[in-house]
Amino acid sequence: MNALPPATTGRPRPRFLAILVYTLQSCIPPRRWFALLLPCIGALFFGLLAHAVNGSPGHAFANVAAEGIFALMLPIAALVIGDAVLGAEVRAGTFQFTWLSPAPTWQIVLGRWLGGSIIALVTIVPATALAAVVAGDAADADAAFVAAAFASVAYVAIFIAIGSMTRRTAVWSLAFVFLVERLLGAALTGIAQLSPTWEGRAIFISYIDNPPSRLVRAGIPHGAGAVVRLVIVTVVAMALANWRMRHMRLSGASD
Amino acid sequence: MISDPAFAADATVTVADVSVWFGAKVALSELSCSFGPGVTGLLGPNGAGKTTLMRAMTGLIGVNQGTVRIEDRDPRRDRAVHDRMALVAEDEAVPPSLTARQFVRYVADLRRVTDRDAPDNALRTVAMLDEAGRRVDTFSKGMRQRTKIAAALVTNPHVLVLDEPLNGADPVQRLRLIELFKQLGAQGRTVIVSSHVLNEVERLAERVIVLVHGRLAAAGGHHAIRDAMNDRPRHVLIRSDDTRRLAAALITLESVEGVTFDSARDGLVIQTLHARELATALPRLARDTPARLLEVRALDDSLESLFRELVG
Repeated sequence: MNALPPATTGRPRPRFLAILVYTLQSCIPPRRWFALLLPCIGALFFGLLAHAVNGSPGHAFANVAAEGIFALMLPIAALVIGDAVLGAEVRAGTFQFTWLSPAPTWQIVLGRWLGGSIIALVTIVPATALAAVVAGDAADADAAFVAAAFASVAYVAIFIAIGSMTRRTAVWSLAFVFLVERLLGAALTGIAQLSPTWEGRAIFISYIDNPPSRLVRAGIPHGAGAVVRLVIVTVVAMALANWRMRHMRLSGASD
Repeated sequence: MISDPAFAADATVTVADVSVWFGAKVALSELSCSFGPGVTGLLGPNGAGKTTLMRAMTGLIGVNQGTVRIEDRDPRRDRAVHDRMALVAEDEAVPPSLTARQFVRYVADLRRVTDRDAPDNALRTVAMLDEAGRRVDTFSKGMRQRTKIAAALVTNPHVLVLDEPLNGADPVQRLRLIELFKQLGAQGRTVIVSSHVLNEVERLAERVIVLVHGRLAAAGGHHAIRDAMNDRPRHVLIRSDDTRRLAAALITLESVEGVTFDSARDGLVIQTLHARELATALPRLARDTPARLLEVRALDDSLESLFRELVG
């Protein structure tokens, strides 16, 4: 073994692109893809379930999408993705290969988030739109797609932030979804305004024709306001993840 | 002027009064030492704080007290430090789904390595080029270690921190890796190696830092450490054709603390606090005593025995 042979120079791949490619190549191993497939199938199942709901296909799908897809399947799929792109790597001890580099932490966070968002945009987001088609409400598929897209990228950012704060990403992420969003968010509009579930629902409801009145929630932004709110939530979550990443204690897989 | 053996003359890595704790457990306690060009061995039993020290040195964990500096920069705050430094961690974790070449390429890209052939060259250096297209998570422990060493080398680091890098390597690979680390040290890089295989550290490192219970137990060359421990008895085996007469003569020497007969070794084990004086007195004793000396051997001059003594 001879140490370090001579060099032939060329242009390196940009760091951000390297992080993005790594996220797509390595962070979702086959078992994760399978775990991600389940909520996608679940979304389609809710589409089928709409046929069993009384009323027009539009109303039926709006009801199952609000209660089943945006409140359950989408957060679970985003949790699988968000945990995979950071929390699981920290727990496994492989994140140090990225952290121990001169790459700025914001590039790491942004690369991981973009990678996770791309995965969401090719899995749960089209599955949500497809569920509308399965429900016989193809006209609302675009609204479902847009709402699911904004909600899922906000969720991925939130779960990355949680992954940068604790090793028990799954537990805290589930607590966020079911205790903060479902429990507190149902009672307090202040919480609902910061919730991807509620704001995702609000985007969907505002872009469909003649939505069921019981799904229109007063006191939280709808339409473009909800989009802006989710963008703000995404940016704040990523800023938090960036700050936390600088102070992380990476004590290894065995600890 | 006598220099403190815990500190390297031209230090690149400085650890000053460092304490690290995890909850109630103190992993490092007021540790001060430094590392310079060449190979330095980091020794200590399990739980001594070696891995914690290496993680603190590379910035993976912050210290609760004290400072760590790599070439005068804080590895926790100044991310540019990671351009000059690499760590090979002890655990077997490798990114799933990546081939060895993809993995090393990723690490090279993060450091903006301009040499396109650098990943393959690094893999060739650790004899892993033939496996470059295989997924890292299918490798054996030794192959994973070598791939991680390749990932560290691809960045051409000035400071290389290796936590048990020989784990899982077969004997031939061990020899090659030891030779590689020595070469890197000879090139003027700071190479810090922890290992529990003490005879390998003896062959590998010019300088040794010994940690016990998170504290500095000893530092320097292993012979120098031995000499410095003059408050602890050393044991010398002497075999002779007339053991009884030799024992009687030995007991009269001031440098001898005790003499016991070791039936397993068929010789006398001398306990002494003054090994040098004993070494001077022995030839005279051999000349004056009719007994013929067949063997004189220090029983505890290896790192293994030194280590055992320090750990108690």
